Amino acid sequence: MTARVVDALGTWCPVPIHLIARAARSAGPGDVIELLADDPLIEVDLPAWCHSSGNELVALRRDGDSWVGVVTVRTGGSGDDARH
Amino acid sequence: MTGPAAYLDHAAASPLDPRVRAAMLPYLDARFGSPSSLHEWGRAPAEALEEARAAVAALVGAEPGQVVFTAGATEARNLAVKGLRGANARLGDGVVASAVEHPATLAACRSAERGGARLTIVPVDGGGHIDADALRAAVDATTALVCLVHGQPDIGTLQRLGPLVAATRGAREEARIVVDAGETAGLVPVDAAALDADALVLGGGPIGGPPWTGALVVRPGARLHPLIEGGLQESGKRAGAEDVPGIVGLGAAARIAVEEMDAAAVRSRALARRLTRGLLAVPDVRLNGDPDADGRIPGHVQVSAGWVEGESLCLALAARGVAVSPGSACTAHAGKAAPALEAIGLKAPWTHSAVLFTLRAVTSEAEVDHAIAAFADAVAALRAMSPLTP
Repeated sequence: MTARVVDALGTWCPVPIHLIARAARSAGPGDVIELLADDPLIEVDLPAWCHSSGNELVALRRDGDSWVGVVTVRTGGSGDDARH
Repeated sequence: MTGPAAYLDHAAASPLDPRVRAAMLPYLDARFGSPSSLHEWGRAPAEALEEARAAVAALVGAEPGQVVFTAGATEARNLAVKGLRGANARLGDGVVASAVEHPATLAACRSAERGGARLTIVPVDGGGHIDADALRAAVDATTALVCLVHGQPDIGTLQRLGPLVAATRGAREEARIVVDAGETAGLVPVDAAALDADALVLGGGPIGGPPWTGALVVRPGARLHPLIEGGLQESGKRAGAEDVPGIVGLGAAARIAVEEMDAAAVRSRALARRLTRGLLAVPDVRLNGDPDADGRIPGHVQVSAGWVEGESLCLALAARGVAVSPGSACTAHAGKAAPALEAIGLKAPWTHSAVLFTLRAVTSEAEVDHAIAAFADAVAALRAMSPLTP
């Protein structure tokens, strides 16, 4: 399955988490989302969001000076509201 | 209010196409909701926003997710320069810009210079074309950002962007490239994917939308810090309540431009040739920018009239029913010479004697002919009063 890529490069907390939450809300169970981010807080925020929202963190790795997070959507429509 | 006999100032403002206006009106009325709202009043504006995003993306061969809506092209230029530079500081402190960038781009680059960037300005030839060899020489291992204008707003010269982007990439592959199509997209074809730029500036006016609208098309992975922070609008790259009616208008205009741009450009250029012939029949008048109408933004004609001051000529033309702008729309009120005119080698008084005519497909031949006659009359009247006239 091709992962949907969410490009949060250049944005800071809480924007990357809101963007992946928005993407997860419009995705279905089993869909894979790849999050690109360069805010170091993503190392803390992404695992925490996956835990609280019930989605699966497949990987979170460094890519040069940024991070690539891979998440499998388990709940769909989960996460906090990104439209505000 | 009665309009002028010849309205030839479309780069400043242009009447909205009735189809664009009709698309916008519901969002000033029953569909007033915020696209951020979760209740039903938010649904139609949110959907309209995404439809407009898809239309604007289609106009320039981009993906909808790449489009960041802004309040006009000037904001998009600032977002591109400051946002890309801020998020890509690791690439170095070098900023390279052509000498004929839009004044907003040059101002943002000067601001970066005050913040510690090393700014290099690349010269142009007498027609306003950026020198690819000089560009290649200016880009080095510390260059983070390169700014290339597509259509120059004062003299109208269109750049051949392919060789310029290739020269930049050849000198430093990872340098971020901003292409400013804020005066051209909607009037001539622009293909974001083929350009290989990191950011593409779009302006509402040339597309046929409200002039206060614009967008920045950002290549995925380019890294862009937001200029305006706050909410999550525009994927966090531009916070603040969206201008839904304006964006819907921009989207409607983009759809129309895809269909009608080519025919409109042919007509605008024919009108520009007719106007140019008439203006150059007046002694001691020179055409600025690329001498061929095909080498300029469609409908764009800037001339300098010897021994006549541009703003005076503008007012004299207004008194004769012709609406135009002084040579530099952005610097006229400051009484300064336009940087683009100095860049192509003009000296005073030619730098201060320019007037800009911008035509669109809606312009009539009668308007052009009226402007030619008024120009000859106004120039003669002003020269008769000037102690400088030989």
